[in-house]
Amino acid sequence: MKTGIAWRLGLALAAVGVLAAGLTGYYAYSASREMLVDGAEERLLTATRVLVRQLAVGLNGTARDVRLLAEHPQAARLLARVDPQLQQRSETNVALLFERMLDTHPEYFQMRLIDVTDHGLERIRIDRDENGLVQVRGDDLQEKGHYPYVFETLRLPPGTVYVSAPAINHEVGAHAGLGKPALQVASPVHDPDGRARGVVVINVDLNGLFAQLAGDLPAGLQLYLTNSAGDFLIHPDPSQAFAFDRGQVARLTDTFPAAAAMVRDGQDRRQELVTTATPAGGAPVVAAFVRQPMSELRHEDEFILGLAQPLAVVLKDSDDLGRVSVRIVVAFSALAVLLAALLARALTRPLHQMVDAVRRFPEGRPGARLPSDRSDEIGLLARSIGDMQDQIRAQFANLEQKQGELDRLASHDSLTGLHNRRFFLDRLEHAMAHARRSGTELALLYIDLDNFKTINDELGHAAGDHVLRTLAQRLKHVVREADTVARIGGDEFIVLIEGPADEDAIAAVAHKVLEVLSQPVPHAERDLACGASIGASRFPKDGATDIELIAAADQAMYRAKSEGRMRICLATGARVQTTDLAEPGADRGIEERR
Amino acid sequence: MLQWLVAAAVLSAATGAAAAGPAVLRVLAWPGYAEPQVVHSFEARTGARVELTVIDTDESMWQRLNAHGGQDFDVFAVNTAELQRYIRAGLVQAVDPAKIPNTAHQQPRFRQREAIAGLVHKQEGGPRTYGIPFTYSEMGLIYDRRQVSVPPTSIAALWDPRYQGKVIVYSGGTHNFSLAAQKLGAASPFRIEPDMWPSTVQSLIDLRRNVLGFYNQPEESINLFRRHGAALMYANYGTQQLHLLKSQGIDAGYAIPREGALAWLDCWTITRGARDPALAHAWIDELLGDQASRLLVEHQGLASTTMASAASQPDVRLIWLEPVEDANRREMLWARVRSGDRASRVLAP
Repeated sequence: MKTGIAWRLGLALAAVGVLAAGLTGYYAYSASREMLVDGAEERLLTATRVLVRQLAVGLNGTARDVRLLAEHPQAARLLARVDPQLQQRSETNVALLFERMLDTHPEYFQMRLIDVTDHGLERIRIDRDENGLVQVRGDDLQEKGHYPYVFETLRLPPGTVYVSAPAINHEVGAHAGLGKPALQVASPVHDPDGRARGVVVINVDLNGLFAQLAGDLPAGLQLYLTNSAGDFLIHPDPSQAFAFDRGQVARLTDTFPAAAAMVRDGQDRRQELVTTATPAGGAPVVAAFVRQPMSELRHEDEFILGLAQPLAVVLKDSDDLGRVSVRIVVAFSALAVLLAALLARALTRPLHQMVDAVRRFPEGRPGARLPSDRSDEIGLLARSIGDMQDQIRAQFANLEQKQGELDRLASHDSLTGLHNRRFFLDRLEHAMAHARRSGTELALLYIDLDNFKTINDELGHAAGDHVLRTLAQRLKHVVREADTVARIGGDEFIVLIEGPADEDAIAAVAHKVLEVLSQPVPHAERDLACGASIGASRFPKDGATDIELIAAADQAMYRAKSEGRMRICLATGARVQTTDLAEPGADRGIEERR
Repeated sequence: MLQWLVAAAVLSAATGAAAAGPAVLRVLAWPGYAEPQVVHSFEARTGARVELTVIDTDESMWQRLNAHGGQDFDVFAVNTAELQRYIRAGLVQAVDPAKIPNTAHQQPRFRQREAIAGLVHKQEGGPRTYGIPFTYSEMGLIYDRRQVSVPPTSIAALWDPRYQGKVIVYSGGTHNFSLAAQKLGAASPFRIEPDMWPSTVQSLIDLRRNVLGFYNQPEESINLFRRHGAALMYANYGTQQLHLLKSQGIDAGYAIPREGALAWLDCWTITRGARDPALAHAWIDELLGDQASRLLVEHQGLASTTMASAASQPDVRLIWLEPVEDANRREMLWARVRSGDRASRVLAP
């Protein structure tokens, strides 16, 4: 029963179990992984937002500084040139203010007060160089009217601040700031009448600002800063930063194509983005980009700030989760297989029992016990099978009994209980076949009752039947068990003797029979007496077939009857001397019992 | 015996060449010069394969062509000024215009190649042409028609105090000194004599004081122009800027001053190491064909030498760029001028 129900059921159950465990494990892993990646992306985005805030805060701080100076009355006074005497003092004071400011802000390269007249001539200028601070004077002061931080700022209302686009500073003479990434933060100086008289400009060292931004980052995170077109200003590979200054193009969308959604013009421009990409020659990273939020400063150009983390780091947790999931799934699958096997066995054992019981039933052997005690469908089936088996047994017993009866009826005479003619003939045939084979002899005694008709006619059938029955019993008892006695006619009997068939043997049996049949039979206060005429034949002497034997015995019987009854005649003609049991000439018949 | 050897060698060479597959043409060009459709039709016509490399600065072009003495490429496009550098370095070979039938379709001024400085060199054995004109752009004057009713006729309009604070100029030392030289009436804008430096410097300082601001990129210039309602602009990028302005809704006009507009002319030239000069000639011919010319104008907004335009008229004076007397000095001085230095400081050593 290798691929029988037990195995298939077990397999199906195990498959279901494994599938359930596998699917659960997979979906749990998949959902968790998504959550992990989402979580990491969320954290990255949050960190980026924080950095953007920091940048904005930094710029706001500078904006406040520049406004402080631009709105300082000294600045306006200086530019107004009202009083030549005060002029000198104003210049000194403003220069001092600037120096103090630069001292406290190492991230500033320069501070300048620029006049609207004389083509934007610088009036006060403090530069930082490698030795410290230096005030630029006289012919070294330059005209800056053609720079946006001057002509754009001059147009602004009082109290507003202009922030230039970040660029490499190429202004000759800028000392420490020359050739460095910088941006200018400027605010207009207005006189009491509201006319713009000049601007105050602070040059911010972007590397310093960037170092501050990048300094707090945990290891493994990379910082990107671009302008609104996506040109890199900060890049993990410094050669990619400020490429536009060298006439080259190195843009955000080259490495992160999805960032195009942040760079394009229009209403659908995205403020934030999380994307995965593979920078050239590197490993895949997850990057979050945030556009600088709106502010009250007048930005010439906006920033996009980005943080990138290697994808492998983000997925590491999820990979661990994957491994744990796999282990759990394997364990539960093994459990499922085990339970499936047990369950399959539990289900099929009672089936086997029942099969066993049914199998052994026809053989009559006691089979395995049926699981009839169960209260489920199997118990029901078992009980039904048991009932059916009982029914079958009962029916068989019934049938056997009826069969037995029929057999007996077919082979016995109902009145006397002796075998009948049919049976006897069959027996004779077998005996003869046996005798032929083994070379043994047989003898037949054909017995005819004397005076029976008289009794029957005078006293009725009841008496006759009684006589027959009694004589039959006597006959049966006097004959050996191995020999066969049968009633073959109304008052005719026949006996088969198996064994040596010499005259003496036959005579002995015949005499016994004759004697026992001659004794009176008591019936209803009378003694009824019969007698018998017996004819004997022998095999193989007197016949070769059963018909010949019977015929010979029959003839011998008739001779005995015609010679006076109560005697035995052998078939070959010799008469067996017998003691007549009756007085000569007397008719035996009915005698009254004394 | 020898004949058999030679025949075998020739046979093996021929089969070797045939077995090597279709001929390959290695092209080095600026973006938009070799459109895919043009490349396909060239490949289909000649059965050759084109390997295209794109560069976007003069410097990167110089580096790539110098890498193995010009052996890496067959044909490239370069402006007339830069071409001289390559000729001097022996990196290019002469081109035979007779093998380029489409030159017959070029505008007259581009057929007269001897008139274009540096294109044809007189050498023993006859004049040798080193480049075939392909595309060009001139640097004209863009003006706002609402503010400037009469189109400017001279470069001096940039210095006109009427437009003080409404002029936008390109920030390039080499070109701006040429402009100053033009304004001062110098014989050649590309040759500033030693005694001319102070006047050109002063001229540029005056220009600086007249402008609103300077630009480097075309988009920058458009933004400035629009935001500040400029009246005049020196169009370093030529009609490209004009189109951009017009698309922003500005009623802009374009004029070429009588002194002439500086213009760059890019020419196709063949490297000394070209494997198959005949194929290179066929390429140049393809690029002068109808399809290529049309795409150049429609897709790239560049001017085609085979099609007429405002600037291609014979009476318009175009001054093809030439190498200047001292580019480094010009840039150095310009950096100072740009930074706002006064004349004395600019010219200080």
